[in-house]
Amino acid sequence: MELDAIAEPELERIAKLGGADLVVGVLYPQRAEETNGTGNAVLPMIREALAELPKVARTVVVCNNGAVPITADDESLPVVSCSFAPPGPSESLQQRVFSAYRTVLKTGEQIGARGCAFIVSPSQSATHHWISRLLQPVLELGFDLVAPRYTRHKMEGLLNRSILAPLHRALYGQQLHNPMGPDFGLSGKLAQRVLVQAPRSNPLASMASAAASGAFQICETHLGARIQESTDWTNLSSLLAEVLGPVFLEIEKQASLWQSLRGSRPLPAFGSSGPLSEDGQTVDTRPMIESFHLGAQNLSDVWGLFLPPTTLLELRKLSRLPADQFRMPDELWVRIVYDFALGHRLRTVNRDHLLRSITPLYLGWIASYALEMAAAGPLEVESGLERLSRAYETNKAYLVSRWRWPDRFNP
Amino acid sequence: MIRMLSQLASLLPGIIALVAALLVAALFAWALAIILRRSLAGIDFDRRVVQAGFPAEWSPSKSPTLLVTRAVAWTVMLVGFLVGISAFDLDLTSQLVARLFNYLPNVLAAVVVLIAGGLIARFLARSVLIGAVNLNLQYARLLSIGVKWLVTVLAVTIAIEHLGIGGGIIRLAFGILFGGIVLALALAVGLGSKELVSRSLDREANKASTQNVQEPIGHL
Repeated sequence: MELDAIAEPELERIAKLGGADLVVGVLYPQRAEETNGTGNAVLPMIREALAELPKVARTVVVCNNGAVPITADDESLPVVSCSFAPPGPSESLQQRVFSAYRTVLKTGEQIGARGCAFIVSPSQSATHHWISRLLQPVLELGFDLVAPRYTRHKMEGLLNRSILAPLHRALYGQQLHNPMGPDFGLSGKLAQRVLVQAPRSNPLASMASAAASGAFQICETHLGARIQESTDWTNLSSLLAEVLGPVFLEIEKQASLWQSLRGSRPLPAFGSSGPLSEDGQTVDTRPMIESFHLGAQNLSDVWGLFLPPTTLLELRKLSRLPADQFRMPDELWVRIVYDFALGHRLRTVNRDHLLRSITPLYLGWIASYALEMAAAGPLEVESGLERLSRAYETNKAYLVSRWRWPDRFNP
Repeated sequence: MIRMLSQLASLLPGIIALVAALLVAALFAWALAIILRRSLAGIDFDRRVVQAGFPAEWSPSKSPTLLVTRAVAWTVMLVGFLVGISAFDLDLTSQLVARLFNYLPNVLAAVVVLIAGGLIARFLARSVLIGAVNLNLQYARLLSIGVKWLVTVLAVTIAIEHLGIGGGIIRLAFGILFGGIVLALALAVGLGSKELVSRSLDREANKASTQNVQEPIGHL
């Protein structure tokens, strides 16, 4: 699903434009009912978003609809649509999205665009406001990366809250709430940098770190609530492997940068978080704790290859606790994540095995978080997550030390 | 009597040469083993080999370095023995060496099969263990051990066949053993444990679907 897959007529239309200001990638898979008679629901959304911008921008739309080609019947707005072939059966949804990002970046590079916007969230939550909010700071204020901030219930975005955001904050010193988006606004300069820095790897994992590694301006914008796909629990380990693998690779690539950074700073944010519906749903933590126990019983040999003995001992103690007292201390979880990143770098064990073996530990963290936050309000949730982020920052010295001297005795 | 003594006397130089060759080979093997052990320790050979997936328990004292040094030392001793034998009768030695070299590819193939089998067994066992734990299967460890032994037995059988030991008996024994295991499992599932297995599968399916429907959890 690379740039070659764009049809010849679309390439000719791009050439006729003589360049474009923007590339907008609408990368969520479209369903048949979302298309209208003239083509697609995407184009009206883009037109509305462009109307919100102060100047008319020549725009190329890259649409990941796969099966339904879209056509620009209205010539009043310079829109060129590109659709690319459906993915192969062996590609997962995550891999499809990753290669779609690359296509958007390459299109932007080819036409010399000033900015790119990526809309990956499902059409039920993503509106035209999202596109303009992601593009405005790039076009008007000169920001290079506009990261999203979503209004979330306490049990949403847990992988992001438990690993991605605090890890990014501790390593790169930027308090970015969603370092892996997935909805982003990018300047042309940063898009080029991402393509150069990550020619083959996952661009989604590289965007925030590429921005942090150069003199790029980063900000956040409030987008509102984001509707999530329902969790496929049987494939949770695949999701973790697909997300954490590129993140750990990026950590390895940027090692010289993050080892010298200390502390973190908040980033400028635009807009305000919208109201959230009542968060009254309770979570049954029993199956997650059972998964953790099963992992602790069976996977200690595998974990023992990269986790230090004290961590294994703590996990064993944790597995003996009754379900209602099940709490995973922040420091233990942080060290586990750091040791997994280190194990990934050292290839102590096959990388796929390492990444998949984190699943019971992650479920253990979710269970502990759910029990701790069962009666918590939004402020308490925020303060709990802030505590976790600080634990990541405090324990960064541990990661740096083990990264530099992995063979040193570590009890 | 005199004839016998003269025959013994005629063998004496050969025996002395054999003993001398063995002594020299032993000295050489000892020196080589020391050098090799130090070099391998210098490059952290044990850790690297275990990281690559070689089962450490296959080595004496769980040390792949010791396995390599001993193998090299015994090869030197074998060469020394052949040199010593050559002092008795040149034809006999050349015949022995020719046979040995004819057999050597089989030994090498068997060693390669055993090493590859060990690596594959370990990899598959770990994959099955992690996959089964992530699917919440209570018998994850049992599945993993089963896969490990199945691949190991298969590798050993192929290696033995390459060495030409046992001939058809090994093949037959493996067929009976493998067929027996599969039949036993089929009978266990089909008759004795039918309800247990169906209950277990139902429970797993229900667990996954209930979590999907009820849990208000999002990851990304």
